[in-house]
Amino acid sequence: MANFRDLALKYVLSEDEPAQRQIVEAAAKEIDSARANSTVVGNWAASVQQWISPASAGDDDVEDGEDGASGNILTRAKALSFLAGTLEALDRATLKTDQVLRLIGFFGAVFSYDHKAGITASAKALRQLYAMKNFRPDMAAKIIEDVCKLKEDFRLQTASTRLEIYELILSLVEDSSISSELQYHYGQSCGFVVDLLQLCQAERDPKNLMIWFKILAVILADYPQSPEVTEQIFKAFSAYFPISLRSSATPTAVTPDDLKGAVRSCFAAHQRLAPLAFPFLIQKLDQGDAITVAVKVDILKTIEACITQYEHPQNSVVPHMDKIWNSLKYEVRNGEVKETIDATLHVLRAIANKLNGSEPSGLKSYIDLVFKDCRDDLGSPTYTKQAGLLLVTVISANVRAYILENANLVGCIRQNLAQSKSPSHTKDLVLLLNSVLKERQKLIKTRKTEDEEQLKNETLTHLSSLFHEVYLPIWTKNISSPDTGQVDVLRQVVQGLDALVGQQVLRADGQVMLLCSRTTCSDICKLLTRILVKGLALSSNDNAATDSALEDDCVVALRNIVMNYGDGFPELMSGVRAEIRRRDWVTSSQYSLDALKDLVSRLAFIGCSEIPSNNALDVPSTRPYSPLQHFITLVAASLDLFPLAVPRDESVKEPLANSYLICVIHGAMLYFRDACAARHKPETLSARSSSDNNWLQEFEALPGDWLQQLDSADEATDEKLYSLTGDEPEVYRQFLRLSLFTLRCLYQRAASGTQPPWSDRILGQLANIAGLVVRSLDEKLQSLCNLAREAFNHFSAQTISPNKPRSELLTFGILEGLWPGAMVDLYKPGGVAETLLCDASDIGPPRAAIGAILANKHKGGPSTPDPESQTIKKVLEFWGNQIKEATTSTTTANPEAFTALNNIAMHIFAGAIARQDKNVANLVVPVIHEAISSEHANGEIVARSAGTLVRVGSSELLSSENHGVVRRLYKQWIYNILVKSLYRDVLPTADQDPARSGRHTTAILSIVSECPFKVYEEDLEPLSRLLITALNRPARGSEGLSSGLQTAASALQVLNEILANEPTTLEGHLEAVINGAVAVYGECSPKNKVSSSKSMVQCRKLVLQLLGALPQKFEERHLLSSSRKLQRMLALACGDPVRELRAVARQARANWEKLV
Amino acid sequence: MEKAALDNADPTILSVSQLPSRRQKNGAARHGPASKYDHLISPRQSGPWDLSSSVSSWSSDEDEGDEDLAIEPLDEQEIYDLISPISDPEHPHTLGQLSVVNLPDIHITPSRGNTLNTVLVELTPTVNHCSLATVIGLAVRVRLEKALPPNFRIDVRMKEGSHAQDDQVNKQLGDKERVAAALENDQLTRVLNKMMETCA
Repeated sequence: MANFRDLALKYVLSEDEPAQRQIVEAAAKEIDSARANSTVVGNWAASVQQWISPASAGDDDVEDGEDGASGNILTRAKALSFLAGTLEALDRATLKTDQVLRLIGFFGAVFSYDHKAGITASAKALRQLYAMKNFRPDMAAKIIEDVCKLKEDFRLQTASTRLEIYELILSLVEDSSISSELQYHYGQSCGFVVDLLQLCQAERDPKNLMIWFKILAVILADYPQSPEVTEQIFKAFSAYFPISLRSSATPTAVTPDDLKGAVRSCFAAHQRLAPLAFPFLIQKLDQGDAITVAVKVDILKTIEACITQYEHPQNSVVPHMDKIWNSLKYEVRNGEVKETIDATLHVLRAIANKLNGSEPSGLKSYIDLVFKDCRDDLGSPTYTKQAGLLLVTVISANVRAYILENANLVGCIRQNLAQSKSPSHTKDLVLLLNSVLKERQKLIKTRKTEDEEQLKNETLTHLSSLFHEVYLPIWTKNISSPDTGQVDVLRQVVQGLDALVGQQVLRADGQVMLLCSRTTCSDICKLLTRILVKGLALSSNDNAATDSALEDDCVVALRNIVMNYGDGFPELMSGVRAEIRRRDWVTSSQYSLDALKDLVSRLAFIGCSEIPSNNALDVPSTRPYSPLQHFITLVAASLDLFPLAVPRDESVKEPLANSYLICVIHGAMLYFRDACAARHKPETLSARSSSDNNWLQEFEALPGDWLQQLDSADEATDEKLYSLTGDEPEVYRQFLRLSLFTLRCLYQRAASGTQPPWSDRILGQLANIAGLVVRSLDEKLQSLCNLAREAFNHFSAQTISPNKPRSELLTFGILEGLWPGAMVDLYKPGGVAETLLCDASDIGPPRAAIGAILANKHKGGPSTPDPESQTIKKVLEFWGNQIKEATTSTTTANPEAFTALNNIAMHIFAGAIARQDKNVANLVVPVIHEAISSEHANGEIVARSAGTLVRVGSSELLSSENHGVVRRLYKQWIYNILVKSLYRDVLPTADQDPARSGRHTTAILSIVSECPFKVYEEDLEPLSRLLITALNRPARGSEGLSSGLQTAASALQVLNEILANEPTTLEGHLEAVINGAVAVYGECSPKNKVSSSKSMVQCRKLVLQLLGALPQKFEERHLLSSSRKLQRMLALACGDPVRELRAVARQARANWEKLV
Repeated sequence: MEKAALDNADPTILSVSQLPSRRQKNGAARHGPASKYDHLISPRQSGPWDLSSSVSSWSSDEDEGDEDLAIEPLDEQEIYDLISPISDPEHPHTLGQLSVVNLPDIHITPSRGNTLNTVLVELTPTVNHCSLATVIGLAVRVRLEKALPPNFRIDVRMKEGSHAQDDQVNKQLGDKERVAAALENDQLTRVLNKMMETCA
């Protein structure tokens, strides 16, 4: 006993929670070890007596404010919480039944006499006792009775105390064994509920309310009760509706939505509430404008929850159906707020779904009710849309509703279409018809097994006749010379046709097929194809509608149609081919060319942006199905049509029409790749970008016009292509195979062809296609097919000289997409890479790019003396010598020839720099340093092009997509070894030759302007001085205007970058920066006759951007002195001949105006 | 402002897509469903192999390339783009959406050349008794003064017959001193600034 008393005392005196826990654990251990010996338990219970007895006598008489009394209350509360804590720590099986009963009696009694101190602890203790193994359900009634004795004092308790009690009650009522005991004890009168309602009627705390509503929901759902009790409970929770939450200084975790959800679950707890809930909610809704949108949505969601959760809809929902409908229909018919309209439609849909499971008459009478009210509205243009929305929502709720009434609705729409009041009325009606079709598509797609029987017996004549009886007549009526309203109707018709062809039906044998017959599908295709090729027949004088919305809709519709009706695409293509062939493309107008350009990108989109499905039709197709069929058809047609125009006379400008045919092929590949990517994960596809077979070898056995043969064949000639379904990832592999075949075909034709039609423009396009195809293949397949060799052979039997200028573009295309691992053969000593790279004779842009690729994409590691590294070392040495020679030789310089040569050298260096090749430091950097220090005229050219060294690494050429080897910090690296040492030579104080320091400045700025800010962040001080010198350099004319401007532009670019990242660096130099920038602007001024050049415009833009950003970065005091001058200048700049610059100038002017 | 005080409580409003824009004029910039890859597949002389076509290169000034930097003189559409996003002082819509500013009612004379030009903007108030016509006119004037170079003379007037007192309003808007005086008024300046918030 003494032991427990000590523990109790320690507990009461302790303020520390962990210490208190230790104490109660010690007490619990004591009881556990004595196996709940009654003496021990008695002692334990009596240990708190000293705090209980005296207080209980005098507590009620003592005022709260008195110290002694409040002290008593506190210690008493603590003493009781010692007992509760011990119970919590006690083993659940220790206490015996009689002990549990006695303890319940003890703690229950606290609710009657100790309202100030004991409630929290007692509630906690009772919860622990409920959890004891020897707790018997009949004890629950006693607990509830005791708790209810609190009566009025309940609301005086703190919120956390009340929370304990709520949690106690919730755990009791949720227990199924207690529930049956309570039902037995109280019967239908549910007396304890009435007491609870009285006890908790004034609750306001959100956290407590959440549990209180849960208790009510449980009682409503699990306890049979008399209608009177139900009504009382209903009153208790409906009084809170609609519930909201005031913002409070001490926010709880409960949100208004939680509270709304809790009240809603009370409403929806049991169908017994239906006669009370529906009239109540509808009455709230009918208050009209008096309620806010949020409340309205809350009411609607609550009605929806009731409908969805009430069972026996025949008795719960049906009796209130009329009232709900009559109240809700106006929310849609006259409603304007999207949220309420959506919530209302959800309710209406919920009713239809609820009635779906009941007797058919219920659903039918509901839909009839909706029809009766909406039918007339369809005839009125003002309400067509809303009525349509209501009808479609209701009938598309489930398959049964749809099958019951869709024919009726379609009939109704057709009737109104015949008497349409205006084009916009027609549009709304067609839109409604389209929705009926689209909803049907959704229902079929998401059908369940139980729906299938109904779908098999569906009547379909009213749908299958839609094209000829509804859509076509409307189309014919409006197509002749459509105005805006009629175009809207036509657009709806197009979308309707799209939905119509997509309709599937379930045949009696369970097979799915298209609703429309083959002839109907074909007619629809022809109709829309006419719109597609219309542009070819028009000329610029026809003043065709500028709005291409109808054509765009046709394109999307055709894409979906040919996806469903596979034979549509060959039909479309044969129509388009005939139209294209009919015209002369040698001397075609720009207008026709634009039309052709639109047409080709649309064809690629229609045919290849979706993988066609294999749908059954009334008359089976003569062609075998393949998911790649459209791709084959499109590519074969383009290859067949090429070249469209071969001018007899060389002087005629190159016909662009040929290029557009190549565009189709490129577009088809891009779209088909996307279509595959949309269906499968990237890793699934990348696993399919390989093969164990050498595809090129397989192609040897195929005829040159294989694709054309595949396109025209009536039977499957390639098993791999025709055994696939659209969903298999294998489609991607076959697509790559066909793409490679196409590429091979084009390369072979181009390599042996002459110009025209194989112009540089087209060869460039082929290179792009080659890049796309080759980079999609994995390293293994690239090596297997030896594509590195084909880069130079161009898929021909005989080797083509890599130096043939026209073939360089083709070579570039393949090299661009190769993996380093697939290029090993090229780097053998004396091999192609070495021969090609160590050749300074033939020069052109592709050569530079090829150089960059070859210098970059090889497998060689940083340390091993592998052949690749050796080759590249030789190459770097070769070009280093070339540069050295050109900048030191005494022969007269030919700047143009050296510029081209230097360009190749720089690209090769850049390729090596991007991969941080170890040879760069000793073979390239010294050469560049020497070249830009030399007085030779070529030194200036080297300095100007130094930016190339950095730029190439971040260009598309060496992107990761093209498998370039680019180190992350290569810019930092080259900056450190190449640029840093140059700073000391260019500072204005240095005793230097000004021309030489000028070249150094040019080189530094050329490189720095290509680097991110972080790279040169450390050198801002010398750099900013250098920038100002560059801007204010008076001798710009002497170096040639272009060169001087380039340096100025680089300086401006860097200044803009510094301004964005570290403006304070410029604070001391602002005036110099502004003066320099204004001077540059003056030189590039629009008044200058040669100012049209792009570089000058660029310079002006950079100046305006720089000046415009200053007021945002600096305080007024730094800028005021220049403000007037700049505002004048910027006002003039607002009249710049280039539109984009005017916009920049206006922005800058506005920024400066804010200063004053 | 209360609903009852509106001069025109229910004006006709155009959607943004119905307003005249440069894109509609320029057929080349198509934005249909099939235009996703137009930039990639359109035939060009240059490509990734031709690195000299990048911006920092200065060797090829005559390149086709960057269309944004082409020379295009200031035209009526540009003036329209400047003033149509000004908000109406009464409605949460722009002057373009309310058809107060219309493209055909903007005239630049002489249409080309660097000498002195005149921009004439004729406004159409939504109702002919609109009391805010002067404020709208002032806003248009201020916007153009801040955005056009000094060689442009700005003339803002009410379209003939569109306003009951168009003579008076025009007189007010044409009087430089009255305009300057109006801009001294803080409250008016606040209204104007509010109206221009929607201008980019």
